[in-house]
Amino acid sequence: MTDGIKRRDFLKVLGASSAGATMTGCGPSEVEKLLPYVVQPEEITPGVATWYATTCGCAHGCGLWVRTREGRAVKIEGNPDHPISQGGVCLQGHASLQHLYNPDRFAGPMIREGDRFRQGSWDEAERLLAAKIGQNTAAGRDVMFIGGHMGPAMSRLVDEFLEGVNGSRVEYHAVSDAPLREATRLAYGVNELPRYDIEASDFLLSFSNDFVDDGSVADDRGLSRMHSVDEGEHSKGTFAYLGPRLSTTGLNADEWLPIKSGSEAVVALAMAAHIAGSDHSGPYANLLQAYSIGDAAAASGIDEDSLRDLADRFSAAERPLAMGPGVGGHHRNSTAANLAALVLNHVAGAVGTTVHVGGGSVAASSPFSDMLKAISEMASGQFGVAFVHGANPAYSLPEGSGFSEAFDQIPFKVSFASAMDETAAMADLIMPDRHFLESWGDAMPRKGVHTVQQPVMQPVPHFDSKQAGDVLLAVASHLGTGIGASTFYEYLRAPHQAMHADDPTGFEQVWREHLRTGMFGMGMMGGGGDTQVPELRVPDRALTFDGPSFDGPGDLTLIVHPSPRFRGGEYSNSPWMLELPDPVSKITWHSWLEMNPATAEARGVREGDIVTVVSDHGAVDVPVWVYPGIREDAVALAMGSGHTEMGRWATGAGVNAMDLLPSVAEPLSGGFVTVGTMVSVTPTGERRRMATIEGSSDQRDRPIAPAVAFLDLGHSEDGHADDGAHHGELMELQGYGGVQPVPAQDGASTAYPLPGADHGLYANAHEGPRWGMAIDLDKCTGCSACVVACHSENNVPWVGEDQVVMGRDMTWMRIERYYEHVDASHASHLDVRFLPMLCQHCGNAPCEPVCPVYATYHTPEGVNAQIYNRCVGTRYCANNCPYKVRVYNWYRYTDENVPEPMNWQWNPDVTVRTNGIMEKCSFCMQRIKDAENRAALEEGRDVRDGEIVPACQQSCAAEAIVFGNLRDPDSKVSQILESERTYKVLDELINTQPAVNYLKKVTFHEVSGGH
Amino acid sequence: MKTNWLIGGLAGVLMLAGVAFVQGGGGEGEDAASASGQPIAFPHNQHAGSEAGQNRMDCQFCHFSAERSVDAGIPPVSMCWGCHQVVQGSTPEQQQEIAKIQDYVDHGEPIPWNRIYKISDHAHFPHMRHVTVGLECQTCHGEVQTYGVLNERDPAWGGDNMGWCIDCHRNPPEGLTATDGSPIEEASVDCAVCHY
Repeated sequence: MTDGIKRRDFLKVLGASSAGATMTGCGPSEVEKLLPYVVQPEEITPGVATWYATTCGCAHGCGLWVRTREGRAVKIEGNPDHPISQGGVCLQGHASLQHLYNPDRFAGPMIREGDRFRQGSWDEAERLLAAKIGQNTAAGRDVMFIGGHMGPAMSRLVDEFLEGVNGSRVEYHAVSDAPLREATRLAYGVNELPRYDIEASDFLLSFSNDFVDDGSVADDRGLSRMHSVDEGEHSKGTFAYLGPRLSTTGLNADEWLPIKSGSEAVVALAMAAHIAGSDHSGPYANLLQAYSIGDAAAASGIDEDSLRDLADRFSAAERPLAMGPGVGGHHRNSTAANLAALVLNHVAGAVGTTVHVGGGSVAASSPFSDMLKAISEMASGQFGVAFVHGANPAYSLPEGSGFSEAFDQIPFKVSFASAMDETAAMADLIMPDRHFLESWGDAMPRKGVHTVQQPVMQPVPHFDSKQAGDVLLAVASHLGTGIGASTFYEYLRAPHQAMHADDPTGFEQVWREHLRTGMFGMGMMGGGGDTQVPELRVPDRALTFDGPSFDGPGDLTLIVHPSPRFRGGEYSNSPWMLELPDPVSKITWHSWLEMNPATAEARGVREGDIVTVVSDHGAVDVPVWVYPGIREDAVALAMGSGHTEMGRWATGAGVNAMDLLPSVAEPLSGGFVTVGTMVSVTPTGERRRMATIEGSSDQRDRPIAPAVAFLDLGHSEDGHADDGAHHGELMELQGYGGVQPVPAQDGASTAYPLPGADHGLYANAHEGPRWGMAIDLDKCTGCSACVVACHSENNVPWVGEDQVVMGRDMTWMRIERYYEHVDASHASHLDVRFLPMLCQHCGNAPCEPVCPVYATYHTPEGVNAQIYNRCVGTRYCANNCPYKVRVYNWYRYTDENVPEPMNWQWNPDVTVRTNGIMEKCSFCMQRIKDAENRAALEEGRDVRDGEIVPACQQSCAAEAIVFGNLRDPDSKVSQILESERTYKVLDELINTQPAVNYLKKVTFHEVSGGH
Repeated sequence: MKTNWLIGGLAGVLMLAGVAFVQGGGGEGEDAASASGQPIAFPHNQHAGSEAGQNRMDCQFCHFSAERSVDAGIPPVSMCWGCHQVVQGSTPEQQQEIAKIQDYVDHGEPIPWNRIYKISDHAHFPHMRHVTVGLECQTCHGEVQTYGVLNERDPAWGGDNMGWCIDCHRNPPEGLTATDGSPIEEASVDCAVCHY
């Protein structure tokens, strides 16, 4: 064998033969075209990104900076100057690019012909609509306009349009805050949502309020800031969650009181009574007399001592805040529950400090009862024409509402949907609206915050779309009920033009400034809302605070909640959303039924068993996911899945929770009741493999996501509270002799070989930066926006449900979720750890020595690089990676899964990988290079700290991720890593010396396991 | 020896596959070759050459973003027309080609140039970093200013071969300076500088 062919010779022969093949392959046969602009737009330089400020599409109205390349939007980022979102973006914000380039968008206006749609021209469609409205008016019938969220200008226009055509309008939101709004009106006479200042609070109670899941980046940031430890001040806010099921929000809490569904009002009132004592006066004095901690214990199933103790601590807190049930906890008495929470805030002194009455959002809080009224009106035959804009009631209403039958009776139905959905499928005319990234508009997420929505690119040319505002103006002009503007752009500008008529700089200059900042006017940065404490008023309606009723004979309460990924279902047709592991369950694509382990065991059900869930209103078959974070007497199902007509990805994925719900409006607020029915669950005998990315929810005594007790901070002997190397299996392994702790290196903050050190695989004399990261687990809320940001920035493909089941998911970054202590049987501390896991960029990387072709290696700047064109796909590296962060292209996902024009979203600065290639986090190498290029070009200097912001860090509203130079002691990342909480995952076990450093979570209870 | 034979055989099979591929691609090649002529017979020498009667234009007059972007940029049709609505050409051939520009302008269509110089999609080449240190365009692209219609690459160009890039990164031409004026003695040969 010694004179046999050597490996290198073999590779040479192989190389020569394949080169022979490819070189001739690349002859003149592959002529690529270079297309110049006809007229170069002034603001575009090829190869240089252009950024536009605009406002995101949902009611939260977050400010965006959209990165465009050669006229295509390629990345969504937060506008750091926006007073509410302050630079954060949620999952759905990132995924709006997939809706913009959604291949299922309509090619043009669609006109019904029998059972089918025919594509028509805009002129034809507008004339047809005008004619139908004309006939309708002549016949003495009315027009109905069902509208979802829209900005103030569009809303005004719709009202003006409807005035001219004898129309009436109903606002409809699948998910709304109506009970809180009515509660605030009852308590204070203010018909608006109050503004919760989570950040200012030091003791937060959430009564089933899932504000992180709800996509509010401002609240996400608020939670992170109030709840993370301040080591300098030695302070940390407390967060207790009261509710039957732990959402992503709930998983962040320090303690969980698993109260029964619907007992929020009694618990809040009893706590208020306990705090107020017997000498409390005011309109609620008698009421408070009537509720005791004993009543609350009986109603909620929580012991009296825990409730009393919680009330005492809440009362003692300097800036307490109690949040009543949000959109996830609507039962038949949720207005009373919200009112009780406001009373609790009032007696605890929170109103005026953490609860600001007035100044909250007025959006997305229209009651469901309005919709029910509209349905009965439609059924009466009063309406001849109906519009649907920005809503999909045929999907998001339960069958019992009668929407489909009533809507079907309308002689002429018009949808503004830009892609097919369940409601558009029933329409007679579809006039595809533009995506918000192609549209003009405005938003007012809160009083005093008025922002600009501007098109960031020309409309995607595959789709002949037209902005709904322009359509209404054109139709009004055909009807002769002209509104005085020829385009919506003109309509939007007119009031601002009038306001700035006397501006010495001229209106155009003012307007340009609006567009540049994304904001109309300045001086509106205030928090909003009153710091005065308004008087509590006697409720002007009769109400009870007792527990709500639940219908049906089943033995389990069904909790239906908005999905953190799809919300009410409007974001479902996005592969990023579908393949994103749910922040709670880590399941992708399909639906699941959450069930407590004890409940499952009692019924002989295992995870993956498909069960039939039956209520009085319908039945669905869905696999069980066993979850300790839900009460034994409840099961939970997320909204947003089970579409029947919503594009190629969402259609058929999962089940629709609406099939189980009654069509009930909460009596006081008219809010839609989502927690109101009992169900029975029976196994079908079938099983499925779950499309999950989770290996284990248990750390198995390995210090992967360790924690440190708050009281132990500052008391460690060596400055590091607990190096985690002395526990359980780790000790055992070390006992076998194979694993030894890394020798200490003079207390160096990084184990990577510093200049001169000869430690590790890569002794490195390089004087440049050593890139690294700090991730603070005490800040991370597990929201997963970073994961979507990473997909968007790095052209990470999605693989589909079947491939995820086989473990072939390709995410470069995942949020691991470990349970340490989750107990649904009684009130106790809660300990769940979120760990953002990405390539650790090890100084001593196990992947590197096993690569036979040097496709992965260490750059002088400390990045573990993956060179795609060298990779031959042996997958040795992935097998040797202890963090499981390397992912492999088993198929040509980027070709086959990505139809035109979805590929327009690709980031041109990052190579698009194909099959047979291993890939992983690059620390956003393209952003490092971009910052270096700009620094070198503009000033001939090195990159400054903070100039390189990877996509995950940019997106993180919780400010948990910081990237920078570990070798610079003054860099922010180095400063953060001075903390005694700093650790590296598994480093002491396998000596990998990662560049990604974590800061331990801080708990109030003593840390017993999983340090 | 047996191993040798086996491996040789395997390589042979791959060779044959390569030949088959070339033959299979032959027909296509002919079509493409006939189409490889540029849509307008644009003479680089007439514009950028320094012979008598040539116009000595700076490369970056038309390739306007080479100094500030990863892409050198190709001139928009309006830029061509900016000069050529005045400069109509002195021979019938020139006039005929220049008239084509007006056609593109009138129809609002881009000129579909055939791309001649291109490196692979998996390599990132930032023009500005090379231009600003003082590299001449000709160092990589060859004496393009002496060419008539450009239909093939200059032999000096080695962009299909990474060794060509690396050679220069190890031993750059003399006289290159960074923005701060310091001389450049070598450039990074780290893989991740270009491949990411």
